[in-house]
Amino acid sequence: MQTNLDKQSNTCKVSLWQLFWTFFKTGLFTFGGGYAMISILEEELVSKKKWITSRDMLDMLVIAESTPGVIAVNTATSVGFRLRGVAGALLATLGVVLPSFAIITALSFFIRAFAQNSWYRAAFTGIQACVTVLVLNAFIRMLSQMERSVFAFVLMFSAFAVALFTDFNVIYVILIGGVLGVVYAVAADALRKRRNKDLPLSSSELDVGQQPDIGQQPVDSEAQQLQDSEEEDK
Amino acid sequence: MIFLQLFWEYFKIGLFTIGGGYAMLPLVTQIVAKHSWLDEQQLIEFIGVAESTPGPFAINLATFVGNTVGASTSLGVWGGLLGSLVATVAVVLPSLVIIIVVTLLYDKFRTNRYVQAALSGIRPVVVGLILSAVLSVGAKVILPDFSFKHIAEGADRFNWISLVLVAAFVPLSQIRIKGKKIHPIYLILFSAALGLIIFGAFGVQQ
Repeated sequence: MQTNLDKQSNTCKVSLWQLFWTFFKTGLFTFGGGYAMISILEEELVSKKKWITSRDMLDMLVIAESTPGVIAVNTATSVGFRLRGVAGALLATLGVVLPSFAIITALSFFIRAFAQNSWYRAAFTGIQACVTVLVLNAFIRMLSQMERSVFAFVLMFSAFAVALFTDFNVIYVILIGGVLGVVYAVAADALRKRRNKDLPLSSSELDVGQQPDIGQQPVDSEAQQLQDSEEEDK
Repeated sequence: MIFLQLFWEYFKIGLFTIGGGYAMLPLVTQIVAKHSWLDEQQLIEFIGVAESTPGPFAINLATFVGNTVGASTSLGVWGGLLGSLVATVAVVLPSLVIIIVVTLLYDKFRTNRYVQAALSGIRPVVVGLILSAVLSVGAKVILPDFSFKHIAEGADRFNWISLVLVAAFVPLSQIRIKGKKIHPIYLILFSAALGLIIFGAFGVQQ
């Protein structure tokens, strides 16, 4: 399959050093991580350097968010790999991680050395309160992006209760969420098909359950169909 | 060997975190508690540092945890350096491999109904996990001896000043100046200044 990305990487030759340096700068000047980095990268890679198109950027974001790992690292790996293959992926990732690594390693020794100092303790008692609010805001941000369905809210509160009140391994909670997501979609699909049998069929609904041909379907169609079937179920 | 353990735990964290940064927090909290690598208060304080230093939040956290674990061994400073390296490499490694594979199979990945269905289950779970992190961090700050795993006890120490600070920072973090929210760094610096004044200069005891 020939994607628009293959063409992209043929037309522009970015040196490995440029790739490393760009991501090093991004790592050095981004505070907070993933999402803060994305706007900077967009400016740098799409608007200024024109290494990638904004559509490609969006594709990469989708990958970065829906695969495991640190979003900033995922983005760096993704851009690096598309522009210069495996070496590009390695160097872009190294670039984005290196500033953090150096700064935090140096800082760690100071943090532990001063941990019992009374002024340090005073400042950090204040910071702790602020951190509580930052975590709260991260939750609100993610909640606002979450799909609004009964299924999603049941999962959310179950995961919340299990994590808060038990010592059950968080990794299993995540895995169970994934399995339930698949089970739910398959069940919703089966139900939908059975209902459709009683109705006159429209041809577009026929291939809902089948794998669409790659690249032929509009990008969002599959996810949209999933959502549709969930909404119908309510 | 503690470095192998560190590698393995952080490899798993990198492999099972979807959504980045704060989504990683519940996993880190659990693992750090399991091995007693850091106490929860140290972790909460470092979240403040990680937010106000350059670089991805999750990488900062990994480097710090690794450094602290490594420095507690007989290797001292060099152990700290090795620990940083081990944790950072371990948390990045799954991403590297997975992203390369997914980029190659992008169209399949994007339209595969099972992948999308699994993600539609994982996303709400992650939001729920972060909500649990909000409560456990909040409890640690306001009621230091309290644990949600043993609800009946631990309400003796009550940091009411911290509660007031939390309540004050919630609206403050939502204020928009010229359409933009105040950057977390400034909130952290401001909270540090408040801490220095209240607990340092005035010597208020919690």
